[in-house]
Amino acid sequence: MRKRMVEPGPLARAEGLVVRELGGEVLVYDLGTHTALCLNAAAAAVWRLCDGRRTAADIARALAAAAGGDVSEEFVWLALERLGREGLLAARVRRPSPLACVSRREMMRRVGLAAALALPAVVAIVAPTPAQAASLLGSGAGCSDGAQCQSGICNGGQCV
Amino acid sequence: MRKLDRLGWAEAITFESFGVRFRVRADDAAALARLAGLLPPGSSPAPCGEVERLYSVRTGGEARRGLRRFKLLYADDALVARTAEAEELFERFESDLQLAVAESARGRVFVHAGVVGWRGRAVLLPGRSFAGKTTLTAELLRAGASYYSDEFAVLDARGRVHPYAKPLAVRVEGGRQRKVAPGEFGGCAACGPLPVGLVVVSEFREGARFRPRVLSKGLGSLALLANAIPARRRPAAVLETLARVADGATFLRGARGEAAEAARRILETAS
Repeated sequence: MRKRMVEPGPLARAEGLVVRELGGEVLVYDLGTHTALCLNAAAAAVWRLCDGRRTAADIARALAAAAGGDVSEEFVWLALERLGREGLLAARVRRPSPLACVSRREMMRRVGLAAALALPAVVAIVAPTPAQAASLLGSGAGCSDGAQCQSGICNGGQCV
Repeated sequence: MRKLDRLGWAEAITFESFGVRFRVRADDAAALARLAGLLPPGSSPAPCGEVERLYSVRTGGEARRGLRRFKLLYADDALVARTAEAEELFERFESDLQLAVAESARGRVFVHAGVVGWRGRAVLLPGRSFAGKTTLTAELLRAGASYYSDEFAVLDARGRVHPYAKPLAVRVEGGRQRKVAPGEFGGCAACGPLPVGLVVVSEFREGARFRPRVLSKGLGSLALLANAIPARRRPAAVLETLARVADGATFLRGARGEAAEAARRILETAS
């Protein structure tokens, strides 16, 4: 009898991270890349449930039970993709075949307008070196907002 | 380092600042006296012994015709500044020393920010050099706030901010700085640590009206971390401290135009 391969569920990375809960949000510092991240309440809720056993559908059900409302699987996949991109999962996850070809925009449309107000979001910055923390960044340097740039203008994560 | 040690040194001073020990030596007693006046607030003399950082200053003596004498500043064995102007050398010394203290301070997290006290709570204005911190800090002093710092918010493990009250460094033409006593802006001196009540992340934009929006505590903490000097060296302590700050603080972000208008709005919000 052939055994059916069971895809492991998403697993939150634990090594090399400093994690601090802050109300519903979570602050994370990646010791390897010196990146600091802020997970909003939605992204943090998904991340907490990534124990390697639950699938995206399980996570959606667990969230729905906790929130007392509907949470779609698409919502969970939006969070998982973002968490994976920021290195917060032990391994990157792939959407299941029915959702694999769906664009992110389409996924957001399916999640719905009400949920869009609380879409999972992760904001990341590169922690400054002491010298950077004391001075403004020059043209072309990576930044997260205009206050970090000598020009005062941050264009798509780069100082103008 | 040995090469430097072999040079003649007139005198040296050893001091401690926020739990970190430094020594400064110079080839000229007058230069050393000037350097001693530039130590960070709260520095105190320390006995000779192991130090975290050794500064060596060569002023080069009298200039001779046809021969340029450069003034040199070393931190341990690394050349920090080589300049013909003594004032520039002193400025570099002061900023390098402040940064070294800010990075290594024991039990404190230094965040690059202007800080004033208002009705028993602190207002933090995080931002890097040239972001307009001193201008806004000065305006808040004119409006009656008490002075904590125009350079660093010195945070303890409970998230309270301590005074780091050196004269304000006001920019003048050519990018140089002029030291101005806080009293000149009508500000009174800080007394003791304060809990943080308000954090304002703002950048100057010509003609902008100050209409800040509230930031979440997580995003506000991230904005502070972007200006935290020891972020890479002690991330766990920094996150913990910033989370303590966030517990009791409101975070605002927005572009500001005139400093006077922004200062008025800030104090209204902080009241």
